[in-house]
Amino acid sequence: MNLAVNPSLTPAASLRLDQCKKGAQLRVVNLLQQPLFGAQDERVTLRLKELGFLPGALLKVIGFGLMGSDPLAVQVNGTKFALRRAEAAKIGVEFVGTEIIGSV
Amino acid sequence: MLAPIRFALIGNPNCGKTSLFNRLTGARAKVANYPGVTVERRSGALTGLANPAEILDLPGTYSLFVTSPDEQVARDMILGKIAGETRPDVLIAVVDATNLRLGLRLVMELKTLNRPMILALNQMDAARSRGISINTAGLSREIGIPVIETVAVSRHGVDALRNILADHSREWANKPLADNTQTLSLSSIDELSRDDSIEELYKHIENIIAAQVIQPDEQPLWQDRLDSIVMHPILGLVVLFSILLVIFNAVFAWATPITDVIKAGTTILSAAITQYMPEGILKNFLADGLIAGIGAVIVFLPQIIILFFFILVLEDTGYLTRAAFLLDRPMRGLGISGRSFIPLLSSFACAVPGIMSTRTISDPRERFITIMIAPLMTCSARLPVYALIIGAFIPAKTVWGIFNQQGLTLFALYLAGVVSAAIVAWVMRRNQPRQEFPLLLELPSYRWPMAYHLLMGLRERVWIFLRRVGTIILSLSILIWFLCTYPGAPANALHPAIEYSFAGQLGSLMQPIFAPLGFNWQMCIALIPAMGAREVAVSALATVYAVGGNGSVNGGLDTALGTALTHSWSLPVALAYLAWFVYAPQCISTIAVVRRETNSIKATTYFAFYLFALAYFAAWATFQLATLLS
Repeated sequence: MNLAVNPSLTPAASLRLDQCKKGAQLRVVNLLQQPLFGAQDERVTLRLKELGFLPGALLKVIGFGLMGSDPLAVQVNGTKFALRRAEAAKIGVEFVGTEIIGSV
Repeated sequence: MLAPIRFALIGNPNCGKTSLFNRLTGARAKVANYPGVTVERRSGALTGLANPAEILDLPGTYSLFVTSPDEQVARDMILGKIAGETRPDVLIAVVDATNLRLGLRLVMELKTLNRPMILALNQMDAARSRGISINTAGLSREIGIPVIETVAVSRHGVDALRNILADHSREWANKPLADNTQTLSLSSIDELSRDDSIEELYKHIENIIAAQVIQPDEQPLWQDRLDSIVMHPILGLVVLFSILLVIFNAVFAWATPITDVIKAGTTILSAAITQYMPEGILKNFLADGLIAGIGAVIVFLPQIIILFFFILVLEDTGYLTRAAFLLDRPMRGLGISGRSFIPLLSSFACAVPGIMSTRTISDPRERFITIMIAPLMTCSARLPVYALIIGAFIPAKTVWGIFNQQGLTLFALYLAGVVSAAIVAWVMRRNQPRQEFPLLLELPSYRWPMAYHLLMGLRERVWIFLRRVGTIILSLSILIWFLCTYPGAPANALHPAIEYSFAGQLGSLMQPIFAPLGFNWQMCIALIPAMGAREVAVSALATVYAVGGNGSVNGGLDTALGTALTHSWSLPVALAYLAWFVYAPQCISTIAVVRRETNSIKATTYFAFYLFALAYFAAWATFQLATLLS
């Protein structure tokens, strides 16, 4: 499968979605492998892509769960999703900007 | 006569398929057995068409490349792979107009199946108010299928869809549908290699959207503001627990006026029978068997309606997935996850649909645990039992200014179920290897609940309840009455007649087993029909005490039954009985659905055994402890 990290194609992908703060606006660079998912990792990658987490897509981190900032909520193409850190770590991103969200 | 044309609604989760289904089928929909998330097909006759037509509502799916059992049902249904089901003739792809990309992706995938298809752009009103404008004619041209704008909120909004379905059904009725069974995708979809197809497809969709759709990037601000409170790690939990507390309080407080009316009605009826009917077996049957049995259960209809009202509203607004988001991490410690939250919550209404909706969970291990603990969520059938005993033994005092002590006791019983479920899940998880599964949960836009959809949901629920009353509960009530009445007492009887009846004998036979729990034989008797439906325990008790107590119970029904109970049971016994009902897998349909969903006799036996053991132990411990303390 050609979804693995390919250093020659993606030199800038040093940041992963799970490392980002609330309010961060990001662009997807590539999708990475996640050994935690074992044999079904490829399937998770496909589902992420189907849901719109494709290279070039703009993301916004909108919130975190209670313990260990897990799961996290992101918005992609106007749709909000809850992802666990394990899934978020599959998404290589680059930083675009920061937005203050909401009033609380 | 022609076989009806079969339409199938397919689309992403939360795109409003079920509301559309309700609109299209109207009151003539074949009421499914269980409400809640669509996990199985639901079908109904399509109204207002010249030719007979049937419409199917399928579980929501993002893709034909499925990741969970419910998506599998949707896919297999479309492909005609489910035994005993014919493949639908025409697909109605439902797309949420405020969430176009995701919806269109599925549509493009469906298009490769080469089936007759119509696209319904749903939630057009919400889209317009967000400033999204879609050139439907252009969209239709680009995708190559008819595109109809729909608004499931108003009757008006589905007329266009109905018209086009009418046109098509006429057309398709005349020429037999081209048999497209040779479609390549049918057999090859599983192996279909799709390396770059997702990127390609999205590129194509972006082009279509760029050409035909004007949409602002931002979601409405209030949605984000609401999310920043509701999904806040601490505020969010405060909101969640407040909502739950309000629900449980409402179930007791709001229902009272309506419950009183029903009670008054049954009392009048019962009084009339006692006064005007001639003495005899028929009178006894009507007063002690029928009215005592049925009346005792029907009184709880308002409470059940209120509970379902809240669950439906929470589901419709999109709040439930936020709660799942908040609870994901804590639940994962127990081997379940946010995805288990919705099945578990609907188990509060009834464990059967709850267990069926575990199909949305892709992790088989997590699904197993969720199934095992679902019946520990207090289902609505337990409500009559709880309400009866709480009403009889717990004083209706107000504590801390706002809470009703009875409501709090009810809350404690619900809590006992939840805490036990957590412990059971934790124990089960320890015996299983850990493997990570993704959460990947969509958090849909908030939406005002639709009155029509809500009413349809409640109507369905009331109908199911009344049907249960009319069938299972009625027949069990008659049976109980018969067992309580025959054989009559011998002429030289020393004890009340009921102790000579079949029920009395059976109860005495069972009683030694339950003696350590403090149960008397009347309570044992009530446990048997409760296997058919838990709420029958109430009617069984009503009948047992009505027959045994020379008709003293059938006057005021559950108030009178409550009085009879307080005379006959001590508080520790009452509490032990409640504890039994928290755990016991008291309903054959639950056990049957576990058998079906796990497809394993071993798992089912395990399920029934562990719950009975838990029930016995909990009731025993409660009885011993309460006796010690009092």
